Amino acid sequence: MSEVTLTINGNKVKGQTGNTVLEICQANGVEVPTLCHLKGLSDVGACRMCLVEIEGERRPVPSCTYSAREGLVVKTHTERLEKFRRQVLELIFTERNHFCMFCEQSGDCELQELAYKYQMDNVRYPYTYPTLPLDALSDYLVIDHNRCILCGRCVRVCSEIVANNTLEFGGRGFKTLVSADLGQPLGESSCISCGACLQACPAGAIISKFSLYRDKTGECQKIATVCPGCGVGCPISVLVKDNNLVRIEAPDPTVPKGPLCHVGRFELLRETRPRITTPLVRGRQGELEECPLEKALDVVAHGLNEVGSSLAGLTTTRLPNETLALFQKFINEVAGSSLIDSLDGEDYRIISQGIKEFQDGSKGLDIECPVDEIIKADCILVVEADPVSTNPIVLTLIRRAMRERGARLITIDPERDIFPLLSHHWLKPGVGSTGVLLTGLAKLLIDGDIVPSGRANSKLVRSLSNYAIDEVVGATGIERERLELLAETYGHSQSAVIIYGGGLLAKSQPSLVTSLLTLAYLTGNQVGDKLRVLSLKRGVNSRGAWEKGLAAKGLGQGRPRGMYLLLGDDTPDDGVLRRLSRAEFSVVEASYPSAVTELANVVLPSPIWAERGGSFVAMDGTKLEAKRLLEPKAGALSDEEILRKLARKMGHDLG
Amino acid sequence: MAKVKVATAWLDCCSGCHMSFLDLDEALIDLAGKIEITASPVTDIKEFPKVTVGIIEGAVSSTRDEEVAKKLRESCQILMVWGDCACFGGICTMRNLFPKEEILKRCYLESESTPHGKIPSSEELPLLFEQVRPVNQVVKVDCYVPGCPPEAKVIQYALKELLEGRIPVLPAEMMRFD
Repeated sequence: MSEVTLTINGNKVKGQTGNTVLEICQANGVEVPTLCHLKGLSDVGACRMCLVEIEGERRPVPSCTYSAREGLVVKTHTERLEKFRRQVLELIFTERNHFCMFCEQSGDCELQELAYKYQMDNVRYPYTYPTLPLDALSDYLVIDHNRCILCGRCVRVCSEIVANNTLEFGGRGFKTLVSADLGQPLGESSCISCGACLQACPAGAIISKFSLYRDKTGECQKIATVCPGCGVGCPISVLVKDNNLVRIEAPDPTVPKGPLCHVGRFELLRETRPRITTPLVRGRQGELEECPLEKALDVVAHGLNEVGSSLAGLTTTRLPNETLALFQKFINEVAGSSLIDSLDGEDYRIISQGIKEFQDGSKGLDIECPVDEIIKADCILVVEADPVSTNPIVLTLIRRAMRERGARLITIDPERDIFPLLSHHWLKPGVGSTGVLLTGLAKLLIDGDIVPSGRANSKLVRSLSNYAIDEVVGATGIERERLELLAETYGHSQSAVIIYGGGLLAKSQPSLVTSLLTLAYLTGNQVGDKLRVLSLKRGVNSRGAWEKGLAAKGLGQGRPRGMYLLLGDDTPDDGVLRRLSRAEFSVVEASYPSAVTELANVVLPSPIWAERGGSFVAMDGTKLEAKRLLEPKAGALSDEEILRKLARKMGHDLG
Repeated sequence: MAKVKVATAWLDCCSGCHMSFLDLDEALIDLAGKIEITASPVTDIKEFPKVTVGIIEGAVSSTRDEEVAKKLRESCQILMVWGDCACFGGICTMRNLFPKEEILKRCYLESESTPHGKIPSSEELPLLFEQVRPVNQVVKVDCYVPGCPPEAKVIQYALKELLEGRIPVLPAEMMRFD
């Protein structure tokens, strides 16, 4: 890269070789109109709006695909260019149905904005009125080909940012249509409904079923916050109007945690369950009855005083640090109990025990690498994890690595290949033999001299010296050649990331975690003092809760008399239900009715994610700040307020 | 100063642009001192006299629309069109996606509120064209006021420009297609 000097509209400006003329214009505040250009995508020169005149060129050239050179003399707004641009707009308008008065995107449309700017008050060409299909079968998106200008931004974002390659151009010439998987309806295609195409569309061709006719961007407040969907904690921009969520956008789709998934973009808007808005107390007939808050809190205080310190606190990890800290204080100080856990606390105990066995006195979860490392990897090992259902954005990162780095994808899972169309290798260890497989792998790495010198300590080498690969083959049912191939692929990679998750943790064997860390260590897969290993965490604040020690010991095998469940808008699993059903007295703070609220003695209303703000720690340790987006529904006090009131009733002051 | 003579007509449209014109409210009183509205749906006078300004709302959909557009063009010096239908074809062009016969059948025979329908056919009735067109594809148009409908203040701006002797071109901030 070297510096180049260009003359743009008579002014000398500087740029770098490798920049396009458009990029240099934009960097220097010269506004050149575009439709098919989108930051972060490759440029294709499809729309011809960014035409510029360059001295020495016979005709105007698209600035988005023209490489900057030393000494170029560029004009961006000559009379001739402005005439061409208006003409281009008129031609686009005649090609399909671009009548705004019945378009959902009117007022939020780049094509319309440009037509206004170029004062396109009439069109000099005959319209073509093609009859094109509408694809509304997807749960989330509608594609109206009649509104499409074939800029290709959706096609490029689908391949370059999401790396999903669902969208393509089908047909030729006037008959070209954006097409999913060679003409499948979007809802039946490989589309993952991340909505990146929706955000990329400059016209009204791709629209969201969940934001349809809610309101225009200009009418909404746009708030930067964090997706509460999973442990990754992607940044989101939420458009809010009149205390309603209108739309969720990616603030910058080009960054690793940028493109969002269907949860962050749509599911958060899809909520239709009725809310719990008043406290419910179990009456004499055993039915839950509505009850004023003060009276309900009296019942809770009385019940908690009865059970005393035999109380267990259990919380979702969708809540911010501030709420969790107060809950911890309430259970410890007000109830005098040390029994506290998060819904995903068992995961933590296995992960942290595994880390401890790997490296005593280590920095705990800090040994795991940032999520961004996935995108930089040239080999990804997914061990008994299901990112598609727990952390969908991780799949996008994996696909990005495969696209950009040619990453090899290896899945280890005894039951199924989690990415059947994607993975290069699927290793299927026989039931209970994942540990043997991982140890065998370490043995192959050491024996094959794939391990850099000094990495394998003598203790490990000694312990593996009598380990026979044949036995690994026998136990796992995987042929020796495949094991060797796996060792070579993983071992010879420059930056190999191991991702593990629920399937592995469900085995309750910390040694599996230790083995994974050992593999990363042996092969030098380190970034600074972190290893390229990542456990998938469910709650946006799982790590925040765990770092507070909230899940350090768990609830144990004892049978506490009382149970206080802070559920928020989370969905409880059967384990919670079992625990709750064994308690004499149980309190549930929840946003929505569920099987656990049916069991509780007292149910207190709780705000949903959008009604609370606070700080989170993402699963890779990133500190996040969530904003409150909505005023809580009438009756929903904040969980903090409830805990404080309750503490006061029980003779304590939580501040 | 003599009042400027104006004639207006509506073609295939919803009359929303004329309604928007009436939304000028008290400004109409001031305007009445400057212009004389001759033939117009507002006055219900049908025959166009010679006027300075002709105004058309709506798209050209039938032989009647075409005839009115041509007559007004011949009667006026400056022809201004109001609204997206007249400027671009607008919502009326939705029917261009179907054959004319299908549209007539759906309207006069199959519509839910028609028990014993019949497709009108009389020499006295205008005929539908196969396609709806914007006005500038039938006669020469001098100035355009898009919008669905154009806001009253935009119509006011266009009339003011004309009264001051300029052919109005809407500035970007007054442009609306909805």
